[in-house]
Amino acid sequence: MDSSNGSVSQLMNAHGYLDRVIRELKTLESPQKNTLVSVLQYLSDHIRVTRDEIGALRAGSSNAPIFSSTADELEEIVTETARAANRIMDAAEAIERAAADAEPPLANALMDAVTSIYEASAFQDITGQRIAKIVGALQAMESNLTSLVAAFGPPEEEALVAEGDAALLNGPQLEKNASNQSDIDALFESLV
Amino acid sequence: MALKDMRVFIVDDYTTMLRILRNLLRQLDINNVEEATNGDMAYQMLQKSPPDLIISDWNMAPVTGLDLLRKVRADAKLRHIPFIMVTAESKTENVIAAKQAGVSNYIVKPFNAETLRAKIASVCPATV
Repeated sequence: MDSSNGSVSQLMNAHGYLDRVIRELKTLESPQKNTLVSVLQYLSDHIRVTRDEIGALRAGSSNAPIFSSTADELEEIVTETARAANRIMDAAEAIERAAADAEPPLANALMDAVTSIYEASAFQDITGQRIAKIVGALQAMESNLTSLVAAFGPPEEEALVAEGDAALLNGPQLEKNASNQSDIDALFESLV
Repeated sequence: MALKDMRVFIVDDYTTMLRILRNLLRQLDINNVEEATNGDMAYQMLQKSPPDLIISDWNMAPVTGLDLLRKVRADAKLRHIPFIMVTAESKTENVIAAKQAGVSNYIVKPFNAETLRAKIASVCPATV
C-alpha cells in the first residue's frame, strides 16, 4: 500500500469512528450532549460530502485513459512541431543556397532573413521541453488520483461511452493509429 | 586558428536543434562540425577525435550535458577543450553548477546567431 492509500485508509477509519462516537453520544442522558453531537455531525457530513465528490471523479469513468491519452496527444504535438520545424528549415536552406548566387544587397537581406528563421526554429526545442514537463506532471496526477479514487470512490460504474454522431468526434488521430491518404482512398473506393 | 579551420562538436537530443546549430555555425564559416544526440555517444566520439570546441545541451538522458562536462574536464586528453553549454535551464543554480564543473560559457535557449558568435569568440579568442 502506498502512502496515499495509507492516508485514505486512516481517514476512512477515522470517519467510521466519528460516526460511532456520534451514535454513542446520542444514547447518553447528558443535557450538554446536543451541542457536541451537532458539531460532530457537521464534521461527519462534511467528510461524507468530500468522499462523494472524490468518488464522483470516477463517474465518466476511467480517468487513467483520459490522462494517458492526453499525454499521447501532447507527445504528438512535439512530433508534429518537429516535423514542421524541419520543413521550415528545408525551405530556409534552399533560400540560403539561392542567396549565394544573388547580388550583394539582395544576398545580404536573404541571409539575414534565413538566420532569423534558424533562430526562430528553436521554438520546437523549447516547446518540446515544456510539454515533456507537462506530461510528467500529468503522470504524477494520474497516479495520485487513481489511488484516491480507488480508496474513496463508490464501486466502479460503467464508463460513459459516446454514442451516435458524438462518437465520431475524436479529433486528429495519433500517428500510430492513423490511416494515411492511400488507406482512406482504398477504403473509400471499396465502399459501395 | 581561423573559424573555417575549427572543428566543433555539438550535442543535443533534439535533432532539430542540432540542425539549427549546424546551420548557424555554417553561417559563421564553421563547416567542420560533428554531432551526437546524447552524452554517452558524445563522450565516446570525443575520445576518438578531440575537437577544438564543444557545444552541448544540458537536458539529455541518461548522461546530461553537465555529466558530459564533468567527464570532459576529468579527462586529461579533453580537459583543455572549450565547452559551451546551450540550454533552456536558466536558473541561477544551474549556471553556478555548470561554472563549478568548468563550463567555458553558457547560452540560454532560445538564442540568436550573434550570441552564438560572441560566445565562440569569447572562449576561442584566437579565432576572431
